Amino acid sequence: MRVSVAGVTVRFGAVAALSRVDIDVAAGERRAVIGPNGAGKTTLLNVIAGELRPTEGLVHLGEQDATPLPAWRRARLGLGRTFQRSTLFDQLSVAENVTLAVRARLHGGWRFWPARERAVNTEVQGRLEAGGIAHLARRRAAGLGHGERRILEIEVALAAVPSALLIDEPMAGLSGAERRLTLERLQALPEDVTVVIVEHDLDAVFALAQRISVLDHGVKIADGTPAEVRANPRVQEVYLGAI
Amino acid sequence: MIRGRFRAAWRPGLLAILTLALASVPMWAPRFWIYIATQALIFAIFAMSLDFLLGYAGLPSFGHAAFYGVGAYACALLALRQVDGLIPLLVVGAAAGALIAAPIGALSLRTTGIYFLMLTLAFGQMLWGLAVNWTSLTRGTDGLIGIPRPTLAGLDALNISLYERGPFFFLCLVVAILTFLLLEMLARSPFGKTLEGIRDNERRMRALGYPSFRYRLAAFVIAGSIAGIAGSLAAMSNGYATPDLLYWTVSGLALVAVVVGGARSLVGPVLGAFAVLFGQLGLSTYVPRWELILGSLFIAFVLFVPRGLVGLVRRA
Repeated sequence: MRVSVAGVTVRFGAVAALSRVDIDVAAGERRAVIGPNGAGKTTLLNVIAGELRPTEGLVHLGEQDATPLPAWRRARLGLGRTFQRSTLFDQLSVAENVTLAVRARLHGGWRFWPARERAVNTEVQGRLEAGGIAHLARRRAAGLGHGERRILEIEVALAAVPSALLIDEPMAGLSGAERRLTLERLQALPEDVTVVIVEHDLDAVFALAQRISVLDHGVKIADGTPAEVRANPRVQEVYLGAI
Repeated sequence: MIRGRFRAAWRPGLLAILTLALASVPMWAPRFWIYIATQALIFAIFAMSLDFLLGYAGLPSFGHAAFYGVGAYACALLALRQVDGLIPLLVVGAAAGALIAAPIGALSLRTTGIYFLMLTLAFGQMLWGLAVNWTSLTRGTDGLIGIPRPTLAGLDALNISLYERGPFFFLCLVVAILTFLLLEMLARSPFGKTLEGIRDNERRMRALGYPSFRYRLAAFVIAGSIAGIAGSLAAMSNGYATPDLLYWTVSGLALVAVVVGGARSLVGPVLGAFAVLFGQLGLSTYVPRWELILGSLFIAFVLFVPRGLVGLVRRA
């Protein structure tokens, strides 16, 4: 699913978190959004996801103008996301966390009696195994370690089988082994899934992204292939040559 | 296997003991205590409906007495028009509770947390004011009096009258058990899990495609209709409906029952309702300022027994 924002401005009072940002991500494309802290990356994801209404500008999902749609309607269109700080269902078990995502896709929550839901359970089991967290199935989410939470965070998003996925800093605070595991999981996403990833770990960014957009102080300063972005003098200035 | 939960063996045991103990009350208890136990059962139904909101949907309603009172008035108005069938009287209470809960929920649920609490409190007090002032319908503070006890076809044939305390107590016990089973079923259903997901993390649920507002509103209306049933029973039990039923202290007392008994358990509110009602009765006989003790107990539970009486049973 194509994801695009056109002329998006978000103002918080006098501060412009985003200023006339245009980003067009083709269906199946892997796009990274990078930039220093406070550049507006998470704001951009929130605008695409529908948690934040832009002051100006339009958001398109596929061919549809999604600007007036609430977050849950955009999710129904096939938009998934993960959050920067893990946002799980803390009182529920790991399996139940994934179940809520699978059920949202299969039949929603309007069933008023305890159902067997064999199809749901089988799929949840498979997903837990694929994510390497089957042994945690019955643990409460609140009791997981940081790395486990990050992995579950991604599994919950994947379980919704999105056709476009927004990923906010999946690598933050992970160990080397966990980073590799997460990277593999993201690289294994079906090719037709559009991915917009915000990440500070530039190794992961260059391993995943086909194109990179660079934000600084709410303004898009570069947009292109990894090689083009690396060669861009403004990007080098912002990143002090670290790129 | 995947559905396996943190549910241990204490619950069925506690439920069985509770049911047997309650069912035996009319056999040994003096008449006055049967009456008090009936009141406690009705209050328990009311508290269970609040627990569904507070414990499962995570909605701290402070105006729940509105639906209880409206249910009582609806039952009273119908009963005073010579309708004495038990089923229609319970249904009208449930319908009235749901009907009032829908708009109040639709407005209050636009907020969360403390704002939700204050809004539900405000709506509850508005309805209380209405009950006091709309004298042509409610007869104001005098209330609607002379509500007859209901009849049920099968019982009449058996020569059982709901005018007697024993049978009426059993009626309330049956309604309480049915309420428990209904709410337990809802809590375990995908709908209940969805509510818990929204309680834990609304943002994530919306990102997964769940329209959280609609689910919350459904929970609010369901809880309102059950509170209406409890109100209906209260009107039948007392023989009157007065504005007191809608007053905010009734909502407060129900919250105390849920918290003292243990939220998100459905059993807890039943224990809590009995504890609060019997405590109130016992204390107010001997202590002039019994609210002071009730309040201190409430604070002690919030601070030291966050899982309530149910938590204590579990540990034992």
